[in-house]
Amino acid sequence: MNISRQNIYMLFISVLLLTFVLIFSFAVLIPNGKEYRLKRADLKKEYTKLKQLSDFSYDTSTTLQKLQAEHRHIIIAFDTPFSSQRFEKQHRKYFSSLKLSKLQKRENEDNFNVYEVNTTSEINSPKSFYNFLEAVNKSDWIVGVNFPINFQRDGEMIKSSFTMKVYSNNKDKVKDSNTSGNL
Amino acid sequence: MRYSYIKPRKKTALSKDMQLLFTFFGVTLSMLFLTYMFLLFRDYRFDQNRAEVLQEERDLRVSIETMKDKITSIENQNILSQRVFTKNIVLKDSIHNLFDLVPGRITLSQAQIMENGLVLYGVTPNKDIYNFMLQAPLRSIFHRTYSSFYPLDNGWFRFVSTNYIDEESNDEY
Repeated sequence: MNISRQNIYMLFISVLLLTFVLIFSFAVLIPNGKEYRLKRADLKKEYTKLKQLSDFSYDTSTTLQKLQAEHRHIIIAFDTPFSSQRFEKQHRKYFSSLKLSKLQKRENEDNFNVYEVNTTSEINSPKSFYNFLEAVNKSDWIVGVNFPINFQRDGEMIKSSFTMKVYSNNKDKVKDSNTSGNL
Repeated sequence: MRYSYIKPRKKTALSKDMQLLFTFFGVTLSMLFLTYMFLLFRDYRFDQNRAEVLQEERDLRVSIETMKDKITSIENQNILSQRVFTKNIVLKDSIHNLFDLVPGRITLSQAQIMENGLVLYGVTPNKDIYNFMLQAPLRSIFHRTYSSFYPLDNGWFRFVSTNYIDEESNDEY
């Protein structure tokens, strides 16, 4: 059998290259391909998770916007710094006189300030007091009138005194803590 | 002088067979390397995309938490304000009822409305009018009612009526 030297070279190179192709395929390409598939599946999963999260975020945002629209008055009222002058100006029409003075803050009174209110109104118009209580609910702040309420007759006038709590998001927002005025 | 009848052909290291062989393996290896490069590039892009997605997820989670906090805060504010408003209305109705309760013949000089009680000071023409027209309705409202009378020079009586409701559950805002 006569095999030329050139054919032997060719056979040698062929075997060498084939071996390289096989080793490269099995040692590098196939593991890389597997990794590629895993990463693709993983990314798809992350995208699904992101989509769910994004939908949830949209729903939460819608709920928040709806709540903000529904309770706009309350949110603004909690954020508005209390002004005793403005309160007196808004509510003095219900009384002959209205005096507001801030009481000393106690330790556990973080989210509200307590004011003492002294009013004088005519004896034949107790309705003004009811109107005042109705108006307080529509005022620019969240104001709660507290017990005890003391009514005292003074000639043709009724003197009333009570305390009220003014609720605020931030205690520092109450502007005129010590301001009081007699109208 | 010629010793052969055929023309001598050029001998090269790359014979036709070798060229074919190199072309075949060249194409094969190119395809393999291109595939490998493609895989490397895709892996890199996947890593990049994954990092972006994770960052986006983190941002969304923070945003959702902030929104949830705001929702809770608004709900709490709403609950608190509704309680305050209701209390004000109840207070108004209580005062309204109190003034409606007092008959025209009895004159009040002072009234103290408390969380669980009511103290009334005033004058009455006689004890019967007080007992029938004021104390009777007060008894139906309050659990404990105490009355004291002090005679006046004109024959009328000054009275102090103290009334309590035995109730432990009082909301403290």
